[in-house]
Amino acid sequence: MDARLAVQDVSFAYPGHRVLDSVGFAGCAGEFIVLMGINGAGKSTLLDILAGLRVPDSGAVQLNGRSLKSWSAKERSRSVSHLPQGTKQELPFSVEQVVLMGRYAYADRWFESGEDLAYACDAMRRMDCLQFRNRLFSTLSGGEQQRVLLAACLAQSPAMMLFDEPSTHLDIQQQLHCFATLAELAGEGALCIAVTHDLNLALAHCTRVLVLDQGKLAADLSVSDATHNTGWLSRLSSRLRMSRTEEGKPWVLYQ
Amino acid sequence: MGTLSMTRLRGASSAGLGWVGGSAAAFLLCAVLLPWIGSGSISVGRVLEKASPDYPIFTELRVSRTLLGLLAGGALSLTGSLFQSMLRDSLATPYTLGVSAGASLGAVVTLALGLERLLAVPASWVGAMSGAAVVLLAVAGASWKRGRVSGARLLLSGIALNSICSAFILLIDSVVRDRRSISITQWLLGSVDSVSYRALFVFGIVVVVTSSVVIAQARSWNLLAVGESWAASRGADLRRLSITGYCCGSMLTASSIALTGPIGFVGLIIPHMVRSRISADNRVLMPCSLLLGGVLLACCDTIGRIVLSPAELPAGAVMAIVGGPYLVWLVRKRF
Repeated sequence: MDARLAVQDVSFAYPGHRVLDSVGFAGCAGEFIVLMGINGAGKSTLLDILAGLRVPDSGAVQLNGRSLKSWSAKERSRSVSHLPQGTKQELPFSVEQVVLMGRYAYADRWFESGEDLAYACDAMRRMDCLQFRNRLFSTLSGGEQQRVLLAACLAQSPAMMLFDEPSTHLDIQQQLHCFATLAELAGEGALCIAVTHDLNLALAHCTRVLVLDQGKLAADLSVSDATHNTGWLSRLSSRLRMSRTEEGKPWVLYQ
Repeated sequence: MGTLSMTRLRGASSAGLGWVGGSAAAFLLCAVLLPWIGSGSISVGRVLEKASPDYPIFTELRVSRTLLGLLAGGALSLTGSLFQSMLRDSLATPYTLGVSAGASLGAVVTLALGLERLLAVPASWVGAMSGAAVVLLAVAGASWKRGRVSGARLLLSGIALNSICSAFILLIDSVVRDRRSISITQWLLGSVDSVSYRALFVFGIVVVVTSSVVIAQARSWNLLAVGESWAASRGADLRRLSITGYCCGSMLTASSIALTGPIGFVGLIIPHMVRSRISADNRVLMPCSLLLGGVLLACCDTIGRIVLSPAELPAGAVMAIVGGPYLVWLVRKRF
């Protein structure tokens, strides 16, 4: 397999407290990796580091065989997109303007090209928000806004996509649609890494599970291993039990 | 779908560019018409004949004053829209960072010392520029952490610096003797007075160059208006943008304030009006703010010249009378 991302011994500390402690893993094209862990386990910090938004205190991140540090911001964002948590909600921009921002790294011109707009429209269609394209972002509901932000990440057409809780605010139908789309993108050759707390949504769509616990990588399992070796569930809560649906699919029960 | 979307896109951008064109027309119209309006009436014929006193009044007072209003209003209003995008705070103005208070303090110090010229330029200019630079360094130093400027820290330390500078201005004003105190008070009200063409020329170059640098980055300011992480992961270079933005904004603010005194609400009214009525896209918002900000300040100055004629109301006061109610209305509508 084509190893796209290599994370070696990454450690990171905020002043006074350590967040990541020698985390290492590799990611390949076509994988949909789900990153789990309790609040404060270091998930968002790890995503920030993979996105190049934070520099690790020690260790290295390589993308396509090249150290992430040596990429310029524009170069990097043609290969990596990152959906941050908690974006401001009262943006005065239209939906289309927000999605077109995903094309920033591609155009040096004053206005985006027709090609940029085609990418943006395709992304909006996939995230089911093309119907709001001319509405003001601030007039959308939380879930609709989240779909627009996801579409902007898709419009960037990167090789690696990082999502910090992509299904936040989405209704059930849209959560399923969102995770199915991420799996589809991975199927088309992207590397998707998503932080989520929804175990069943994750197990139904992802190819691999990473669990962070107190800054260390506590588990790194393919999705089929994760359904058999269920020790990692105790890292999240002691009240979880792996079960199966009538069709034989894994289903985590909350007790 | 390719051709269809191209047409749509051209449609969208041409609507924006139409507004920019309209604003430019208003700007030029003001430049041509406003010099003819004032307390003493002057006739076109006599100006063309270069007859005294109409001709000297027109060239030495009215034209330079109108141009100063247009340039300073534009500079302050563009800075408002820049800082509002950079800080994602709809109430950010050149005042918020304390830069304008720093510039005022610097200028007041030179007035209190009775200096008129320094290094062949008006002393208040040197004072204002140095005051703004000192405050910018202090505020940036206080909010710079791990290679990034924190917006919240910047706003808070800006407000603190603003109070400190205001306190010193009051202190200086109460210590100096009467005549200088009056000139300080006058200056603090903010007025557009006729200035030498040399000062105007230098100021014009500063405004044109700095505004071009700012407006050329319009797409980047759009990204920053959404969020810092957002901007960084779309490919914006945050460090370079912060430095460019704060330096250009301070240059524009300090050079305007040095010539006009602190003129308030133009950096608030115009960017908000353009954002809600025309577009929040900085590619349209910034040029329109620059042009319409100039129009508003020049018009306020003209109104101030004629309402209480022959007495003059400073442009800053007219602006406050217009701007105050607008701010109240804005707060009611938005929050």
